[in-house]
Amino acid sequence: MAMTMNGEAVLPAPRDTVWAKLNDPEVLKACIPGCQSLEMTSETEFVAVAKVKVGPVSATFKGRVQLLDLDPPNGYRIQGEGEGGVAGFAKGGAKVSLEEVPEGTKLTYDVEATIGGKLAQLGGRLINGVAKKMADEFFGNFAKAVNPEIAVV
Amino acid sequence: MTTVTMTVNGKSVTANVDPRTLLSQFVRENLRLTGTHVGCDTSQCGACVVHVDGRAVKSCTTLAVSCDGSSVTTIEGLAVDGALHPMQEAFREHHGLQCGFCTPGMIMSAVDIVNRKGNALDEHTIREELEGNICRCTGYHNIVKAVEAGARAMAPGATSIAAE
Amino acid sequence: MTTTGIGAPVRRKEDFRFITGQGRYTDDIERPGQAHAYFLRSPHAHANIRSIDVSAARAMPGVVGVLTGEDLAKDGVGGLICGWMIHSKDGSPMKAGAHPALAVGKVRYVGDHVAVVIAETLAAAKDAAEAIVVDYETLAPVVDMNAAVKPGAPVIHDVASDNVVYDWHLGDKAATEAAFAKAKHVAKIDLVNNRLVPNPMETRAAIGEYDAGTEGYTLYTTSQNPHVARLVLSAFIGIAPEHKLRVIAPDVGGGFGSKIFIYAEETVCVWAAKKVGRPVKWTSDRTEAFLSDAHGRDHITHAELALDERGKMLAMRVKTKANLGAYLSTFSSCVPTYLYAPLLSGQYDIPAIYCEVEGIYTNTAPVDAYRGAGRPEATFVVERIVEVAARELGQDPAAFRRKNFVRKFPHQTPVIMAYDTGDYAASLDKALELIDYKNIGKRKRESARAGKLRGIGFSAYIEACGIAPSAAVGSLGAGVGLWESAEVRVNPVGTVEVLTGSHSHGQGHETTFAQLVCERLGIPIDQVAIVHGDTDKVQFGMGTYGSRSGAVGMSALSKALDKVIAKAKKVAAYALEASDADIEFKDGRFSVAGTDKSLAFGEVALQAYIAHKFSGQDLEPGLKEGAFYDPTNFTFPSGVHICELEIDPDTGVTKIDRWVAVDDFGIVINPMIVEGQVHGGIAQGVGQALLEGAHYDETGQLVTASYMDYCMPRADDLPSFTVGATVTPCPSNPLGIKGCGEAGAIAAPPAVINALTDALGHEDVTMPATPQVVWRAARKAALRAAAE
Repeated sequence: MAMTMNGEAVLPAPRDTVWAKLNDPEVLKACIPGCQSLEMTSETEFVAVAKVKVGPVSATFKGRVQLLDLDPPNGYRIQGEGEGGVAGFAKGGAKVSLEEVPEGTKLTYDVEATIGGKLAQLGGRLINGVAKKMADEFFGNFAKAVNPEIAVV
Repeated sequence: MTTVTMTVNGKSVTANVDPRTLLSQFVRENLRLTGTHVGCDTSQCGACVVHVDGRAVKSCTTLAVSCDGSSVTTIEGLAVDGALHPMQEAFREHHGLQCGFCTPGMIMSAVDIVNRKGNALDEHTIREELEGNICRCTGYHNIVKAVEAGARAMAPGATSIAAE
Repeated sequence: MTTTGIGAPVRRKEDFRFITGQGRYTDDIERPGQAHAYFLRSPHAHANIRSIDVSAARAMPGVVGVLTGEDLAKDGVGGLICGWMIHSKDGSPMKAGAHPALAVGKVRYVGDHVAVVIAETLAAAKDAAEAIVVDYETLAPVVDMNAAVKPGAPVIHDVASDNVVYDWHLGDKAATEAAFAKAKHVAKIDLVNNRLVPNPMETRAAIGEYDAGTEGYTLYTTSQNPHVARLVLSAFIGIAPEHKLRVIAPDVGGGFGSKIFIYAEETVCVWAAKKVGRPVKWTSDRTEAFLSDAHGRDHITHAELALDERGKMLAMRVKTKANLGAYLSTFSSCVPTYLYAPLLSGQYDIPAIYCEVEGIYTNTAPVDAYRGAGRPEATFVVERIVEVAARELGQDPAAFRRKNFVRKFPHQTPVIMAYDTGDYAASLDKALELIDYKNIGKRKRESARAGKLRGIGFSAYIEACGIAPSAAVGSLGAGVGLWESAEVRVNPVGTVEVLTGSHSHGQGHETTFAQLVCERLGIPIDQVAIVHGDTDKVQFGMGTYGSRSGAVGMSALSKALDKVIAKAKKVAAYALEASDADIEFKDGRFSVAGTDKSLAFGEVALQAYIAHKFSGQDLEPGLKEGAFYDPTNFTFPSGVHICELEIDPDTGVTKIDRWVAVDDFGIVINPMIVEGQVHGGIAQGVGQALLEGAHYDETGQLVTASYMDYCMPRADDLPSFTVGATVTPCPSNPLGIKGCGEAGAIAAPPAVINALTDALGHEDVTMPATPQVVWRAARKAALRAAAE
């Protein structure tokens, strides 16, 4: 089943810092909710393992992620697919763009994803809420990572 | 593993169980009381209803360890000294069952309805109260009749269904 | 009528064990040393499997074995079969794609079986399944039937490059076209018959067991027809020879068709038991049941009805697309063809009918027989278009139906069936009286005053049961004849065991079959036991589906009882020292005509086993007889259901206020049980009309895969029903029985939709007519009224 989500976050840091952190596997690993490992396999590819819980379904996703259309420091497209074993799969992509604003950097994201298997059968009605919550959590963590001095509003 | 002790159908039982063991698994697998059925896994169908400390619960979403120290009654414990419970009698008399799979949960829920709502139940109340029990065979028509009759027969001093 | 004989509302013999929690269902059985199976299923609707790596899973704690389709193929285990050959218009055979029990190279629907893990506990098996690495190459799925037949659509099976299983037809096209050319009025309708999931409350389960000493296999399973399961597993799938395979179907918690079929999981459990040297148990969870039980219905239909100037039906033409899912299930091919089109004449005298059906593959679960199987789909077409025609002609829907009813029997329809008997007007009259039709206008006005919309809907259905005359179904493509067997074993003390090939999964055979024995042998009902569901006890049988147990199974029993009585008369003649011809049997006693000499049934049984009074040369000792009964015709239960309902246009909530069912089932053995069957059938039909719908999204994910999203009828969705009866005994079997198991599910959907459309004043309502659908339809009705 298809899922779309978009939003934006204003990060209290200059665009170059945000861009650098967005490409730093250690930062991503620390910020992705439930992320257990994240290893770069090339300049633009990494493999990740994340534990996700959607309603009654919890799963450990192993995924390959690719960064495409790199346009430093304006943004990139991130694309990947993960297999969650008996829980199903998720695949999709997000377009991430960065824009300078007086408060720092505005990050805009536009996600399109599809999920399948038990996630869709049992978690289908909850997936949008869970995704939004995970996105909020990610950007909360990420804001702290880009500027540990400033608490997120 | 965790030790759990409870009274089931009047007998004290103690067992070492994996903490994730559900009450339905505990009665079916550990105690081999297979009258309690699992029909849906999501707490919708009610085939797994048992009584814990006198109240109906769905045992497929209750952890066995959460019932430590409790008194549990399953369908096997409803008839006392070989005499059928009036609600069991009513289901047979009014043909309130066909394949029998939902029946234990239906009967346990029905007894609980009477305990909460009294012995004079109208059709509307019964239908609303049975919302948590799914039957695929009977269309509920005869279950409603059985619950109504069983409720009356459960009143103190009532005559048995079979004698009606 | 005795208190336990034919026609008595005997309380069920089987109920004691069910109400006390002592029923014995497959999952209640525990075999020594049993291991647990868990099936890894495809999360993708359509994908090639590049590789399956089970090495990590095999190394997990508690794992006994991990098996894939490759292992099955290596052992020469055949694929699942479809047992009914359908030929397309051009004479070509249907295109049946291979259906391995575990996928080989490709998966074709979400839930398709990829591998099985067998472990000490179910939890260990699930954990190990997590460790299986499947490399999928995902392919574009096709879920929608119309999209599947478009050029360039993804191809599901190479054998059917256009995804068409067959393009079949029935009837006289030229005669139908000629009748349409003469018509004064043509009613047209487009319908979707929504996809359903059968949902017996007991999910499927299986325990496979192998005894290395005897080289014998045992399968405990949730089956409506254990002998057919054994035949298919032996002769076609090739797991074990028939004499080395015992199939036991113990208490089964409902079937509704879904437990007729031979599925992957049961097959794998039997095979794997030998492979791992342990009994292997699998119990479906509810979501697995949604994914992998055969679904029902799923038709798209355009129909037209030609009428003359007075509203007499001249001809009907019907074009249907039937979704058969990703593979052909055991009987799937015949459901939208021979179980569908031959019913399109309904209760009406229609001189010409022509029907075309395309069976289509999609990336969805297989679709097969579900309660009614083809006949609900046909009845929905007939009763919806008849209603629309009556409305378009401005005629009263009851009077319009009556005018077109078949009146003379036997009646040969233009679509195979020869109706043997019936009195359709009698059922209609009784139903109209029970629902108080003459005051419907008053009730509608009262509802309108309260801001509600009231509607009344008719459904005059016919079905073909008593499946089936073997020669007839053989000529239509069935792989086996559909007779039934019975054996009557009389014990020396006069108690009786009946072994039947019919199978009860809620229908109450232990009571009704015993009633026939009481009626015929005059013995108390507690001296009769009905044995079924075990291929080691019952020699062969065809099982229970298509409302056939009474008409076919009990007819076989009747024949066997005739033989028992005939033999017992000979024994009695020796014992009473009289001639055979002088022995009379009545009320359980054998007597010599014109004398006071007599023996009770039990005494004669004893004499048969003592055998002192006759020599084995004259008469064999013992009292045991068997019979096979092959029907001479289908049976044709019919009736009229009327639904009266009220819509709240502000919320879209539909409340069924009255339901009247008047059915003609021929002779009824136990009216209490028959009424129960009608109630349950109506509930499933109302479920289809108002609540239930299996929904795949465009990526092929089943998003209604639990009771949180698939709306099952609950007690407060339904009213109490008024059930009446008319009786025309069936002339084609010895008991006059027609069958009652599916009538409600067949009759109900059009009754509900006809009532809804009557209330709304337009025809634009689809099933399931959920509150949202009805709310939208009510707004459309209001807008239309405002515009006028």
